[in-house]
Amino acid sequence: MAYNFKEVMNRPDRLASGHRMCAGCGAPIAVRAVLKAIKPEDHAVICSATCCLEVSTCMYPYTSWKDSFIHSAFENAGATICGVEAAHRSLAAQGKAPQNYKFLAFGGDGGTYDIGFQSLSGAMERNQDMVYVCYDNGAYMNTGIQRSSATPKYADTTTSATGKASAGKQQNRKDLTEIIAAHHVPYAAQTTFIGNLKDLYEKAEKAIYTPGAAFLNVMAPCPRGWRYETEDIMEICKMAVETCYWPLYEVENDVWKINYEPKNKRPIEDFLKTQGRFKHLFKKGNEELIAEIQRDVDARWELLLKKAK
Amino acid sequence: MGEKVFLQGNVALAESAIRAGCKYFFGYPITPSSEVPEYYARKAQEEGLVFVQGETEVACFNMIAGTAATGKRVMTATAGPGFSLGQEAMSYMAAAGLPAVVVEVMRPGPADGEILASQGDYFQAVKGGGHGDYNTLVLAPCSVQEMCELIQDCFELAEKYRNPVILLSDALLAKMRENVELPGRKEQNCDLSWALTGCAGRKHNVMTTCGDGAAQWEKFNLDLQEKFAKIKANEERWENYQTEDADIILVAYGSMARVAMGAMKLAREAGLKVGLVRPISLWPFPVKAFEGLGDKTFLVTELSAGQMVEDVKLTVPHKENVYFYGRLGGFVPSPKEIFEQIKKLGVK
Repeated sequence: MAYNFKEVMNRPDRLASGHRMCAGCGAPIAVRAVLKAIKPEDHAVICSATCCLEVSTCMYPYTSWKDSFIHSAFENAGATICGVEAAHRSLAAQGKAPQNYKFLAFGGDGGTYDIGFQSLSGAMERNQDMVYVCYDNGAYMNTGIQRSSATPKYADTTTSATGKASAGKQQNRKDLTEIIAAHHVPYAAQTTFIGNLKDLYEKAEKAIYTPGAAFLNVMAPCPRGWRYETEDIMEICKMAVETCYWPLYEVENDVWKINYEPKNKRPIEDFLKTQGRFKHLFKKGNEELIAEIQRDVDARWELLLKKAK
Repeated sequence: MGEKVFLQGNVALAESAIRAGCKYFFGYPITPSSEVPEYYARKAQEEGLVFVQGETEVACFNMIAGTAATGKRVMTATAGPGFSLGQEAMSYMAAAGLPAVVVEVMRPGPADGEILASQGDYFQAVKGGGHGDYNTLVLAPCSVQEMCELIQDCFELAEKYRNPVILLSDALLAKMRENVELPGRKEQNCDLSWALTGCAGRKHNVMTTCGDGAAQWEKFNLDLQEKFAKIKANEERWENYQTEDADIILVAYGSMARVAMGAMKLAREAGLKVGLVRPISLWPFPVKAFEGLGDKTFLVTELSAGQMVEDVKLTVPHKENVYFYGRLGGFVPSPKEIFEQIKKLGVK
């Protein structure tokens, strides 16, 4: 069925409002859009490790989650949801639980790229019937904006400070979507908030209703860490895609497909200048750093084009 | 002593560690300890220090093991959940005799819990959270000033005994700002002939964490036990306040000792003879602090369900005279609250 924005958005929310995420934060947008893709008649079990999302949506005894929810320590979302899924599989086979349950885990990039990587990789390799959604905001925002392996090169964080001796994070950003694709799972995809959220919705639907393990990497900007005005989030996402910094693509049964190819690829400055965390790059004398980021984005994009052709 | 400054506990601790010559720091963000790695990250650029943010606490604890093996002063800082992840490495460091320093900023557990003040990790720090027969020295400051001094002692003790040392802080001490006189630089001055520094011109050094058969491994363990006995005999630390004439003696450490001090003052003003034993070393537990106090009544106060109280009961001759009052979940009792508990005990 063709995507109908109005119809999808009019479905009841499975993440209730009233949570304490910041205005202009990408995480709840990602979660709400992903959960819209679960058929209303289906149930879900959601797992989230400790992160902004978890601490802001589960202010016990209050919760924003309308589905069953299980929390685990920082490195364990992948494992915990697998435990629930395995138990459900057994119970359903015995006729002791309904069949129509979906299993989803949400984690930030710290809990996914770094400390939770082991349990995520295990879940993907075992190909358990679950979806892991990473809302990637490119740093440990919950503990005060420390760098993660998802932080882009030269971004300013509290543990990759910008000063006289260095310009933000000195290392490259890990490419997690590609690493998960290398697990040869049935479905892995990368997306963000574009237009009417069609790309995000369709990928979520595919991930949820593809049997076996699936992974969604959703770039979800953070106004505190990225330093932008809350109303700029959609423009930032658009620029991430138009500059090919964050390409929209999916890998379905090892077939790579780019979902959007910009006709005129924008220069990376158009993405960088939207955020305070890159402010230092625009100081005189740092032109080479931007040029280096551009070369890196170009090289990654070329590689992706090859994989998709 | 150096200059007087108004600093947050975590920041003062980090600066004091740098002044003690700790040029290597490995950390992972976790509230309420994150200002320590952030401070090191900033200073790394200015002062040529080594700062690495690991991908987990498991990584950081093993990184400090790696640096400690070279004899360099090294530290990590974390909170309860991260400390839990580091326990495997703690056991390895104790076995290999690696002088690393670990700062544990306690917050209320179990599990994720809260990020407020707590002393619920006493068992884990003091009784050894990892596997096998080992002990780690544990020092517990009660002020930002004392934290600055003890962190420097931690490095010396770690080197003296070639054993990991824990500085047990809590969310209150870590986030509190106080006037401190920063201790001067206390550079490393110890025998490092055991360290792994490349063996050109000398016989290679060996550290081991595994045995070859029960007999060999029992001997290894007995040697470790001998070291722990030496630490026990020599490294007890405590402070006693007005215990001589006291009928009731409060026992408290860390942040809670500050509250107990206030309660003691209230009681004295009301004419009650109340004293305070403040353990500073939690392992070894300061048994000597209780000498001559055998027939008194003790009120142990902790920000836990009662963990240190077990050690007090093991120490005093009449455990039926040991009472406990604790708060959980991040609550810190007021001096008045403790005073009410003192009154309930009644004075003989």
